[in-house]
Order: sequence, then structure tokens, then C-alpha cells
Amino acid sequence: MSVALPIPGFPGRILAVTLPAGPGGTPVTVGGQNALPLLPEGEHPNAPAVGMEVPTGPLELPPALAEAIGPFAGDPVAMARKCAGDWGARFLFLSLSGCHPDAGGQSVSFGAAVVREVLSATPAPVIVGGCGDEEVDARLFPAVAEAAGRPVFLSYAEEKNHRLVAGAALAYGHGVVSWSPIDINMAKQMNLLLADLGFPPDRVLIDPLTGGLGYGMEYTFSIVERIRLAGLSGDAALARPVLCHLGDAWKAREATDPSEGTWGDVGARGPRWEETTGLACLAAGADLVVCRHPSSVARLSGAAWR
Amino acid sequence: MAKCSIRFLPDGVIVPAVPGESLLSHAVRAGVPLLSPCGGESRCGKCRVLVTGETRGGEDPGALSRGEIAAGIRLACRCFPTEGDVSVTILPGSRPARLAAYLDGKDLAGDEPFLPLSRTASGGTSLGVALDLGTSTLAGTLVDLSDGTVLSRATADNPQMACGEDLISRVVFAEEMTGGFELLRGRLLSGVDGLVSRLLEASPAPGEVTDVVAAGNTVLSHFLYGISPSPIRRPPYHPVRKEYPVVPGETLGTGPSTARAMWRIFPSLGGFVGGDVVSGILASGMHRQEEVCLLFDVGTNGEVALGNREWRITCSSSAGPAFEGGEVDCGMRAYPGAIESVRIEPETAAAEWTVIGRGRPAGLCGSGILDLCAELFRAGIVDRAGRFTSRGGGRRISTERGEAYVVVPGEKSATGRDVLFCESDLKSVVRTKAALCAAAEALLAAVGLPREAVARVYVAGGFGNFLDLRSALAIGLFPPIPLARFVPLGNASLAGALGALRNRRRWKEALSLASGTLYHDLSSDPGFMELYQRGLFLPHTDEERYRSVLAAEMTR
Amino acid sequence: MALTAIDIYKLLPKTNCRECGQATCLAFAMQVAAGKASIDLCPPASEEAREKLSAAAAPPLPKVTIGTGEREVVLGDETVLFRHEKTFYHPTAIAISIRDDASGEEFASRLAAIRRLSFERVGQRISVDLVALRCVSGDPGRYARAAAAALDATGLPLVLLAPAGPLAAAVEAVAPSRPLLAPPPEDLVPAAKLAAERQLPLRVRARGIDGLSVALADARAAGAVALVADPSPETPRDAVTLATSLRRLAILGRVRDLAYPSAFDLGGGFPDPFLAAVLLVAKYGSLLVLDSSDPADLLPLLTLRQNLFTDPQRPIQVEPGVYPIGAPSESSPVIITTNFSLTYFTVRGDAEAAKVPAHLLIADVDGMSVLTAWAAGKFTGESISKMLAGCGIGEKVTHRTLILPGMVARLSGKIEELSGWRVLVGPQESSALPSYLRRLPPAAFLPVHG
Repeated sequence: MSVALPIPGFPGRILAVTLPAGPGGTPVTVGGQNALPLLPEGEHPNAPAVGMEVPTGPLELPPALAEAIGPFAGDPVAMARKCAGDWGARFLFLSLSGCHPDAGGQSVSFGAAVVREVLSATPAPVIVGGCGDEEVDARLFPAVAEAAGRPVFLSYAEEKNHRLVAGAALAYGHGVVSWSPIDINMAKQMNLLLADLGFPPDRVLIDPLTGGLGYGMEYTFSIVERIRLAGLSGDAALARPVLCHLGDAWKAREATDPSEGTWGDVGARGPRWEETTGLACLAAGADLVVCRHPSSVARLSGAAWR
Repeated sequence: MAKCSIRFLPDGVIVPAVPGESLLSHAVRAGVPLLSPCGGESRCGKCRVLVTGETRGGEDPGALSRGEIAAGIRLACRCFPTEGDVSVTILPGSRPARLAAYLDGKDLAGDEPFLPLSRTASGGTSLGVALDLGTSTLAGTLVDLSDGTVLSRATADNPQMACGEDLISRVVFAEEMTGGFELLRGRLLSGVDGLVSRLLEASPAPGEVTDVVAAGNTVLSHFLYGISPSPIRRPPYHPVRKEYPVVPGETLGTGPSTARAMWRIFPSLGGFVGGDVVSGILASGMHRQEEVCLLFDVGTNGEVALGNREWRITCSSSAGPAFEGGEVDCGMRAYPGAIESVRIEPETAAAEWTVIGRGRPAGLCGSGILDLCAELFRAGIVDRAGRFTSRGGGRRISTERGEAYVVVPGEKSATGRDVLFCESDLKSVVRTKAALCAAAEALLAAVGLPREAVARVYVAGGFGNFLDLRSALAIGLFPPIPLARFVPLGNASLAGALGALRNRRRWKEALSLASGTLYHDLSSDPGFMELYQRGLFLPHTDEERYRSVLAAEMTR
Repeated sequence: MALTAIDIYKLLPKTNCRECGQATCLAFAMQVAAGKASIDLCPPASEEAREKLSAAAAPPLPKVTIGTGEREVVLGDETVLFRHEKTFYHPTAIAISIRDDASGEEFASRLAAIRRLSFERVGQRISVDLVALRCVSGDPGRYARAAAAALDATGLPLVLLAPAGPLAAAVEAVAPSRPLLAPPPEDLVPAAKLAAERQLPLRVRARGIDGLSVALADARAAGAVALVADPSPETPRDAVTLATSLRRLAILGRVRDLAYPSAFDLGGGFPDPFLAAVLLVAKYGSLLVLDSSDPADLLPLLTLRQNLFTDPQRPIQVEPGVYPIGAPSESSPVIITTNFSLTYFTVRGDAEAAKVPAHLLIADVDGMSVLTAWAAGKFTGESISKMLAGCGIGEKVTHRTLILPGMVARLSGKIEELSGWRVLVGPQESSALPSYLRRLPPAAFLPVHG
């Protein structure tokens, strides 16, 4: 006699979104499911995808990252090849952090050129991240949208700049990452604003802002769970794939401080910190995670089952 | 500094100049009415005066143009006399005005026999006064207690306004200024006395006031009874008293006109839900109904009540005064010169308006602001997040205060300046409406009822008489409930007070409904902030609900 | 399904008699709905109301305790499937394993390592909760001595992973410490009898939900009451699926016979135990046994547990004090805000985005946001001045200039008067901090003289 299991059924389905690849590359499709993550119920046509960040500009890497990616991190093209090749990232998050006035101050045209070079060096799907400075990004996104020779995603559009970013993306056929600060309602509001601009819903990813483990991670966990439950329950504006960028995990002292002997080896602790953050995101329902350490790509890909 | 004086025009009041004290403080001391919604914090830029004589300060370039500064216009809260006599003219836009717009209210449960509280005066006719003690406005009705006839009605600005527009600012003022509490109490008493004197002057029949029934928020009730309202602003936000003894006016220290009258004040429900709401519920008749009703009191503060014959729950929404002319640069109260309704021509993006009284518009009152926001949104000039889009043509300009929409061009306005509505003004309105709507949703959530369970929605408050419900729902001021269920009440607290004055059974009814009404503290409701966040969108984050419930009714 | 306040109200006498201590019957109904009051407090309630309400109030997942006193570990007693629906009450308990066949020295050093798995984070201590003693020797005497030694050295409650014989010996030695008996499946019945006799909690291990359904019934038949269910998964994925099924059976299905806290032994060659542990902390594991005692594994795991088992409706307060943004110097700006955690995270994030090193003062206002704290009289000229004098910022900077949130500009005068610090009024919204900080002239932070 077997026990009947109560399995909740959902009326909604997460929209499938594809991150296009270059010639010879493999596009990444996520979403399409009608059930909660990590469970053998419902349909999960696509497994979550694990990507890697390709930084630009000068960097101060914590010990574990310095050892793993140090030799490549200064050269976006080499780094991109390595990430998409040996390290197994299914997509790249090219961060134009170097264009920030306080983090290298690279020019907008330089940033656009980096995008062009990376896109021609690897066919992997690419999300291009702005530098975080409002004024620079206002020039950077249109330049990147024009320079990119193939469709990418622009990260990110928020309430303040969504007209500009979505406008640039629409003009050249790119997608956008729709960002909101750990708030399910603001996440929905962003998607409604994008819809009002006529932005195609299947070119939108939700970035709910990912707090690092120990530093607000639980807010993200619950917001991702809620976004997913709302989407599955039929709220179309939230039935979109969720992207979690794990970069904040590396802001934690626990991930980077070599001096605390009782915390164990920092070389192991740093990647563990990122991995734990990423696993929690996957358990909550994230469809894409962006990591910085090659070992996290392998570890999280292993857990990203359909 | 030799003995110098300050002369206020057009009132003609002269006071000795005190060095180091702002012109606003002098005006407060002299009892000269001067708008100062922020309580002299130099934030609102509304205490504009024209100065002749030696002064320093008050030349805030954010609030005044270069031309205005050159012409001698200053902000009174930051302007100090230096030497010699100074003459200070209060500019028209900075003068609080009076209007009967806040008087009308319906008493839906009021068809009761006449059964007054008392009938006998020591000599002559026995008169009764019903009072609504509002944060911004005092309103009163004088009644002949021999037959219930209304003899006169009047409103006045609450003279406490100069010490802070919102209640918290006044509580802080009372705590932090030496003699602040006495000053605020004195201003309230003199304001009430002035109002009653005017009621008596206007009355066709002479007589003696023997009974006063007053409805006021908890903070004002405390001031009136000489009780410190300080505990109300601190957790757990409890008032010192909820019930107030029935006493003669002289015990309270009221002026001669009501000193011998018995004063009855409606009981408070909590720190931020007062007797005005009890009185409003009384007038609405919610407490007699089988079906579940919602009541909104939209004023300087917003309160919400939910319930029926058996149970009731209320809360304060912490909504700002955006619909009472506060926090919105072009906002004003509903007196002559205020735009009360707006329509935007989609083709030209130009606004058409109607003005209270005759003449040119000087600003917008609550209903006008509500219409304007709804029309800007409908015309696509602002997006759902409350930001200006690229539409709006020549009506859209950039100003020092950011992007703005020209409601009335300078050549058509009363002041000669453009009447502007900025993005920051819109944000204030959105915050206010989000708080009000979220308060109602929070009450529904607290008791576990869906909004479909609400059979009737009463809208009380001066602005409730005039608002366009379509506009209100277009921007999500209220939860998505079909228009047909809404009932405007106007000044329901005054109507309730009047009802109790005319029928003593209704006074008892008020006392008993108050004891069966629960106060819900939103600051400790963990779900409130989320509901509020959902309201910070046009019309609402759950826009599909507004569409499905209201689509048919919203098409004009 | 949970009853709403109105559902409950309808069952009450509706007299507002206040015998329950609440102002109205509705207030009482709201308390009952929130699980903060019981129908027993309403003397006039009808028999029917009592019955309906006590049935609805019983927790869907029973509580099981291991250990005693301060170190008592509570499993189960959860009411929701997602933490945002209310909260998770009892954090996943973590047991670290040790073998009874280890040499004396090895044994002692392993126990010492377990004791060190305790860390201080944001004012809280986070530690592993139990020691799981694996019987490898098969020798009852040795096992019992090891149990006593482990208990003695760590003070932590024990999970006794042993066959019936050694289990009985260990129970003789350590029963008062209320260990969890964890026999292999084949020894379930004798162990269940022992658990029943000594009133100890028992872990029931069987393959899958169907296996558990039978084994749990056997354990109950033998008289054991406090049960913990181990569905013995083979992979991390299997573990998440089984833990989810068990929790859903309890909360959605209200299947009493399977409503027990879950336990998972992730040691002894379980594939990728760290992955499984992280997922089970996030998804419904009540007790985990791990072989690793590496702090690089346990610190992230315990931190995740600390994060996920905080009450989402009660915002965490940040420890008040002086926080560095970047590497601030004696001439870096000093910013103040309140210790509401979201306020802190927002301001910290915005200040970091400015890339201007700064000192961030976090004032103790019981976790309120800036404006709420001001309105409540907790963020005042007096309290800020007191903090400036007492928090040590005076030694960290040579200037005396404070950046105050724009929302409370009105406090400037009082602060300047009381503290002698100069006040710069910062932006109204934290999001404007980056541009504000970057535009500040360095002259604003010159040393004060005299």
C-alpha cells in the first residue's frame, strides 16, 4: 500500500526565456516550468543555468578568487573564453564595472569595444552589466546596445532608468534584466512598466537583488520563493525566470578574511560562501545564477537539476 | 537694538520686536494668521511675506525666485528683524482662509425624534453647539435646543496650524518649546471661542449656550482637556485617556461663550483614531448594519473603519495631508481660488478646470489634485510609477524643483505665477493614497475578510463631498470596489456631533459603539508596509483587480 | 485550514465582556487566529466553539525534544511550508558524528573540534547542536563509555547511532541527558521498546515514505511516542524530495501517522553531504548528521540556518555602533542612521556605491526606521548627541561634522547645541547618498582645533 502524497498543482507556468548564443554556441533557455524547483513533480523543460561574471577594470580580489581567476581577470576576452570553456559557464555576465568613475573610469566607447571583443571571442550567451553609476550608465547602455553584434541582455533596468535601458534594448533586439531591491511588489511593478513600453515579456529576466549569505540572504530567499509562487499561481507579471547574481557573497568578511583561524581555510571558505548563497537561491527558485569562482560553477551546475 | 516694533499687514497688529526671533514666531505671538504647514522648519516655503525694513535671512533660493527676493519677499520662518521698525505684509497665498466647504455632512442614521440633552437655560433660549475639531479646520453648528433648528454654521482654521501642520509636529512642539503645550492649548481654546462667538453673532435668535458636543482627534481632545499628548507618539502609542468627563466649559478654561455650557467630547478609540471617527461612524450608521461596511475619513490625517452592527475595527492610515493642500506645492484648502476639478484634453495636454468661487485659480484643493493625478495618468503624461513620460508637449517643463506639468500658465493664474505640479508633488499624492488604501486592506486582512465582502463604502471628510470617485479609483485611492457601493458623507464628524446634540439617545449610542470598536495599530502590523508598497503604483500593483472590477464603470 | 479572525469571531459569544482581557471579542478572535491566545481564555465560549477551535489550533507537525536544559534541541512544531507565510520556529538541528572505535586521543581531539564549531555572528552565537555517536566497535561497554565521555566533554545532547545491544548499554549510561535513539532499521522494535520504557525520542529509519509508514506504525505499536522520521535517501535530490513530501503530508495533508520531524544521516559515504545539508536547511530537514567538522563547511551552513530561521515578520536589528564603509580615515565623512536592518542595508549599500570611505554610525532605536524612530522619540537630538559622545567616533576622526538623514533635518540645531558637532543635512532618500557624498568638499572634514 503506498501513501498518497499531497502535491500542489499550479495554474500558471513560468515563461520560457532564451539567452541567444553566437554562431556555434549553445543558447540558454530557462523557465517553462509549472512546478516548484528541485522536485520531481510537474514539468521542468529547462534546468537552471549557471553563469560566470567577467569583470573589467582594476580589481581587488579576495584570496580565494585571486588564486582561481587572478591570472585571467585582467583580460576580459581571455577570462570570457576560460569561463565558457574550461570552467563550464553556460552564459557570461560581462560586468562593465571598469567604466565606473571610481573603478577605472574607462570610457563608454572603451566599454562598448570590450563588449564587441568578448562577443566575437566566444559564442556563449552574454548578459552585459552596467557600471552602477547612473550618469555613465545612461550613456553606456545605448552604446553597448548599438555595439553588440548579436542579441544580449542588458542588466539592469530599474524604475529610474527603465525607459532608457528598455528603449536601447528594444531598438537593437536585446533583452533586459528587470531589477528591484528585494521587493516582490517592486519586481512586479517593474515588469508592468516594461510591458507598458511594449517590451516583449519573453525577453525579460527578474533580478530581485541577491543578498550575500549572512547579509540579507534570507530576504532574497523569501522574495524569490514568493515571486515563484505568485508566478505559478497565475500572476503573469511575475511568471518570469529569476536571475540571482551571487557577487554580494564576496562582500562578506567570512568569505574573504584569512585572519580568523577558527573559521577554517579561507581558500575553501570563500567558495563555500558563494556556493551556499547560490544553493539557497536555487532552492528558492532561481533559474539563473551568476558566480565568480570556477568551483561554484561546477558545484552549482551539479545541483541545478531539472 | 532700540525698542522697535513689527507691524503686520493687512491685520494692522503691532508687536515689539524680539531679537533672534523669526517673523513667524512674532506672527504666532501676535495671533496673526500665517500659513506654516511645516511648523517653522523651513521646509514648506509657504510662509511668504513682503518685508519693508531691516531684516536678515529668509532668502531661500529654493523657495523664492531672484525677482521675489529683490522685491522684498521673504520666508517668515527664516527672516529675523535686525534694526528699526519692520512692516510685514502677509501675502495672499500665505493667508489661511475660511470657507463653509467643510461644513456639510450627512447623518444617515439621523431620522430620530428630537430629544435634546437639556432644554433649560437660566434665561432666554437654550442653545447647543456641535463642533468638529479638525487638525486643520474647526467647524461648528449652532442649534436651538428647544426645537432642533440650525441657527448658524461656521468654520475657522485651527490656529495651531502655525505650530505644525501634522499632529506629531504639534506634540513635538508641545514637548520641546518652553510653554509649548500651554501655547497650543491656548490657541485651540481661543480658536474654539472665536468660532462660537461667530456662530452666536450670526445667529438670528439670541440665547445661551448650554450644551456643546465636540468630535475631535485624540491629540486635540488631549489638548482641550489639558492632558499631555506625549505618550501618543511613543510606543505603544496609547493615549492617556480615551473617555473624557462631561464638564462645564469653565473647567476646561474655554472662553465666556461656552464657559457655563456642559461639554461632551466623543471618546477616543486610540492614539491616532479619535472621537471624530466615533462621530463619523455614528453618522454613517455602520454600527447598525448587518452587512460589512468600510468608512474612510480623508482629511489632514486619514482614518479607516471596517465593520457592522456586531464588530468594528479602525486604524489611522498615517496618510499625509496631500488632499488638504499640504505637501503639494500648488496645494491649497478648499477656499475661493482653488481648482476643484480638472480635465486634461488628450490632444493638447492642456488642462481645463473649475474654480471655487469666482476668479482666477491660485492652486488646487484636494478634489482638484485627485482629478489632476487621474487625468495625468489617463493621458499618459505620467507612468504607473508616477514619473513623467515624454508626453505632455508644451505643458511639460523643467524647473528648479524638477520636471513639472503646467496646470495653469502664469497669465491665467491669480498669482501671475505658473501653477505647477511636479513629480515630487505626485509622489506625495501617491504616498498618501497608498497609505489610505493599504490601511483599508490591512483591516480586511486583520479580520480575514476579502474585499468583496464590503457592501458599502462611506467617504467622510470635507473632500469626500467633492471628490470624483472615478478619479479616486483611477489612481487607487480606495480598494477596487464597484462605484455603486460608495456613499459620500462629507463632514460626518460634525454631522454625528449634531445628531448627538439633538438626541441624547444617540450620544449613548456613540459611547457604546466606541466601546465595541477595536483600535488596530498599523505600526505593529507586520503586513502593512507590504500593502503600502503595493499601493505605490498607479493605480495599484494589483492593477488587474482594478481593471476587472472597474473597467465597465471607469470608461467615461 | 487555518481559521480567520472573523471565522473565530462568529463562534464567540459577541458580548465584548472582556473576561479574556481583550477589549472586544474581535480583538480576542484576532489573537486566537494569530495563535497568541487559546479559547480556554474565553469562559462563556460554547462547547462547540471549544471543539472547533482546539482542533484547528493543534500543530500539524508535533514537537520532539532531544537533550535537556539549555542545550535542549527542539525539532518539528512547524506550521507553514514557506517562511514568508509566518515563520519557521525550530532551526534544523546539526549533529556532528564521532566513531566509538577512535583511539582515546583521536576521540578527544574530535570532540574538541566539535566544541569549536561555535561562532559569534551579529550578536548571536551559532553552534552545532548535537554529537552523533556512531557505533562501529559493536562493543556495548565501549559504546556506553564513549557516550558518557562525549556527553561529558561537550555537554551537547547525543544521537546514538547504534544497534540494539550497544544502544541499551549507552541508554543506561546517559538516559537522563535525553539522547535520541537511532537504531538501524532491523533493530527498530527492541529500540522502540527501550524508547517507550525510558521515555526517550526515537529515530525511525526506513526506505521512503511507504517504508516509513510501516516502520512508524511498528514503533508506535511498541509504545514509542516521540518519533523522528528518516526516509533514508540515496542522493541529495532524493533527500529534498523526501523531506518535502514529509512536510507536505503533515501540513497540507494533515496525515497524523506521518507527521513527524525529519532526520537525515548525511555521513558514512552519503554523496555530496554538504550540498544535501544546505538544501535540507532550506527545505524541511529537522535534524542532520554530518561527518565533516571543517569550520569552512559549518560556518556557512550555520549562517544559512541563522538567516532562514529568523522571523521574517520581525525585522532583525543591526548591532548599534560604528561601521566602516571601505577603509575610512580620520578625515572621512561620518554618516548616521538607525538600526532597522533594512535601513542599514540600504544605507550601507548606497554608501558603498559612492566609493567614498566613510564611518557609518548605527543608532540604537529598537530597530525602527529613521522617521518612525523620530516620531517615537527614539532618534532625537539628545540620543544622537549621546551616541556621538559615547561610541568612540571622536577618536576615529579629527573633524566634528555629522551627516544627518534629510528626513530629520529638524534635529540639526539640537545636535549642534548639545554635542558641539557641526551637522550637514544629508539627502532625504538614501539613494541620493552616492552623488551627495561625492560632491562634499573635503574641507567639510578638516580637523577641529582647540
